[in-house]
Amino acid sequence: MASSSFLYTKRRIKNIVALTLSVIATLIGLIFLAWILWETLRQGVGTLKPQLFTKITAYGEQGGLANAMVGSLIVNLIGILIATPIGVLAGTWLAEYANGTKLGESIRFLNDILLSAPSIVLGLFVYTIVVLPTTSLTSGSTTFSGWAGGVALALIALPVIVRTSDEMLRLVPSTLREASLSLGIPQWKLTTQILIRAARSGIITGVLLALARISGETAPLLFTAFGNNYMTFNPSDKMSSLPQMIYQYANDPGEGLHAIAWAGAFVLTMFVLLLSLASRLVLSRSKVSHD
Amino acid sequence: MQANVGAVAATVPQQEERARRDARHDRLFSGILMACALLVLACLLGAAGATLWGGRHAFGTFGWHFLFSSAWDPGSDTYGALVPVYGTLMTSLIALVIAVPISFGVALYLSEVAPPWLRTPVASAIELLAGIPSIIYGMWGLFIFAPFFADHIKPWLTNYLGNKPDDGKLSWVAQHTFLGKLFGSDYPFGASILTAGIVLAVMIIPFISSVMREVFQTVPSRLKESAYALGSSTWEVSWDIVLPYTRSAVIGGIFLGLGRALGETMAVTFVLGNAMQLSPSILDPGASIASTIANQFSEAAGLQKSTLMALAFLLFVVTFIVLLIARWMLRQLAHKEGR
Amino acid sequence: MTESAAAGIHPQSAATPAPIAPTKLKVRDLHFYYNGFHALKGINMDIPEKKVTAIIGPSGCGKSTLLRIFNRIYAIYPKLEAKGEIVLDGENILDSSYSMNRLRSKVGMVFQKPVPFPMTIFENVAYGIRHHEKLSRADMEIRVEQALRSAALWDEVKDKLKQSALGLSGGQQQRLCIARGIALKPEVLLLDEPTSALDPIATGRIEQLVEELKSEYTIVIVTHNMQQAARCSDLTAFMYLGELIEFDRTEQIFTKPGKKQTEDYITGRFG
Repeated sequence: MASSSFLYTKRRIKNIVALTLSVIATLIGLIFLAWILWETLRQGVGTLKPQLFTKITAYGEQGGLANAMVGSLIVNLIGILIATPIGVLAGTWLAEYANGTKLGESIRFLNDILLSAPSIVLGLFVYTIVVLPTTSLTSGSTTFSGWAGGVALALIALPVIVRTSDEMLRLVPSTLREASLSLGIPQWKLTTQILIRAARSGIITGVLLALARISGETAPLLFTAFGNNYMTFNPSDKMSSLPQMIYQYANDPGEGLHAIAWAGAFVLTMFVLLLSLASRLVLSRSKVSHD
Repeated sequence: MQANVGAVAATVPQQEERARRDARHDRLFSGILMACALLVLACLLGAAGATLWGGRHAFGTFGWHFLFSSAWDPGSDTYGALVPVYGTLMTSLIALVIAVPISFGVALYLSEVAPPWLRTPVASAIELLAGIPSIIYGMWGLFIFAPFFADHIKPWLTNYLGNKPDDGKLSWVAQHTFLGKLFGSDYPFGASILTAGIVLAVMIIPFISSVMREVFQTVPSRLKESAYALGSSTWEVSWDIVLPYTRSAVIGGIFLGLGRALGETMAVTFVLGNAMQLSPSILDPGASIASTIANQFSEAAGLQKSTLMALAFLLFVVTFIVLLIARWMLRQLAHKEGR
Repeated sequence: MTESAAAGIHPQSAATPAPIAPTKLKVRDLHFYYNGFHALKGINMDIPEKKVTAIIGPSGCGKSTLLRIFNRIYAIYPKLEAKGEIVLDGENILDSSYSMNRLRSKVGMVFQKPVPFPMTIFENVAYGIRHHEKLSRADMEIRVEQALRSAALWDEVKDKLKQSALGLSGGQQQRLCIARGIALKPEVLLLDEPTSALDPIATGRIEQLVEELKSEYTIVIVTHNMQQAARCSDLTAFMYLGELIEFDRTEQIFTKPGKKQTEDYITGRFG
């Protein structure tokens, strides 16, 4: 009797210790989250000035990040515009044409790997296939460009869009396919006009998530869009971007530049978090309207 | 009952013609779709191929020795991969050692311990961590965490565990265990391999914990209920039932986090110190493959550039293998569920 | 065809009841396999024109499978195989040269759960027509109205044709699907448990609609609801374990079934 109650007490203590540790682990996670967000907010808001949005980086500590923001928008836009059609079509192929086939399964598998592949290597890949060939065309001056940056970001956005399109299309009930086909509608029409429409909000969510993901990317832009201290709207020029400018300023000894980097970090974080919030809203609203 | 309005229904030859046209369009359409899907394959092969091609000069010059040499001297144009490879592996290993137990705790809390109304908000908050751009982790690491680490954590580690304490008096631990070397450092700043490992750990906790939480939820409730019915405690159910049931997927989630950690650039570059030196101490600065490329590629030329490409190739191959294992392990559970 | 006319003819065998009308679909020695499983074992039946034929049987007996072969919708899934003959207007529809496009404009289908397309009510009906015929805007409107009227839905939706079909009730959605099917002017209409997801009132409306539609279409309805089969069909086929056990006039099946298994099922002794 005594030994069994001892055993019971031991088990209870073990349980309490383990569960307490799990609470502590969660608190650690939340503390880091709060710490990072708090510092970004504190350091960022304090240095947020209107000139951040109006002046360019050529003025250094007296300047802002206007050219970096414009560059970010353009390069992200190029990336998303390239990745969205390709990604949606590829996801459609996986869900509608290749579901269950060997090739389809392998590509789905490899897409998941591309999803977490090191972005810096993808940057070097784009450097090799876009920057180097154009450099040799222009007699040697390295042709970093907004286009190259856009292609690099497209490679990062692509697997995100492929995956969500694939998943969302597979959630579309097969009765919708049967109903359309039993009207004699060919597969391509069914796919483009009915299935993609039915999965639309899910696919939009994927595109927004991909946009959030590439908005914070720095590494692949270092050797593609490179950076530019002047305002440009032409993607054939070198282009700066918000993350790349933050990287550059944070590594600079100048305190004034650090302040601008924090303000940029704050703007970037807000932008990315709002995007992921928006993508959640789109998805939850779609769930309501479908059932 | 109804009059036949509009065009007369299509005749048989018209229908056949339409059917042939549909079939042609279907073939064309599926061809375009497949080409897009094959681009995914092309990206992976291209990234591997481009870096291998770019690194051919370095591989050719240094041969196998490249992997084991810690040399990094732009002056004499000799380079080895050992320092960045060690830095990459060590920071990722530290990140895993820290992140795995914490992630397990978070997943356990969210799936078994927390009151239901608290689960969704806490889970969303943890997932918010995954959405923060890595450059922000880098900034925070450089300006906030590294100084904090240098002021509050590092002195304690070097003085009580390391073999280079400020007052010169070696602790028992430093004299008798390998920890002395591991924590011995006279580098005065916060940037170090350990700092980078901690920042990486914070970055990968949301990835690992969300995979763990997801797979914990796949455990059939009848399995858990029967264990609870036998009088098992929450901890016993989690450790003896849930974890073994989901083991392969949990390992998959850990490898997924490892894959992220290996390839992470920005967060690491800021807090690693970027010293091309091999030190036994994790409190000394170091370099990782990604940070070396990010720091040196723009100014590099010739053999140095080729070396950086070769390093990128190594990184790509290693992460590919790690992620391959991760996805494969995750798939095991899906098969078990009969999905 | 009236009851008195049908009553004069006597059933000859289980699979071929008295010809109460010319045969529309002639099924001969039909076998069906999926993943190697023998799901239909030699079905023979003659489905009469402009009559309602009900197929009943316990779940898993192959009744839905049989229906899904009539418009070859099964062909969109891999590893499914049908052998035998189904003759529609003198041609074997299982023949690979028989175009799907033609088959599906002749044989329409309505499914268990209502499946409106994610578009407006008008577009739901117009969508299928547009693929098969080129109509002017005005003709299309007339055609859609006709289909909606035939499906007894017009009065309920005429003021909201531009609204999403997803906002309709379940019963309305199902009638919309029927309208969509008959808008193509098919000759055969297949109904796969069309009321199983609906409430009794909506079910009543659909049954009434089936009664109205049979003057125009050959209707085959699969149902697990025996009262429904008794109420709205002219002929009833009873299937069990992939075989057609008995096929006769509905009245006959429900009053004096020829086979023991049929009687057991109808009286609720199994199933």
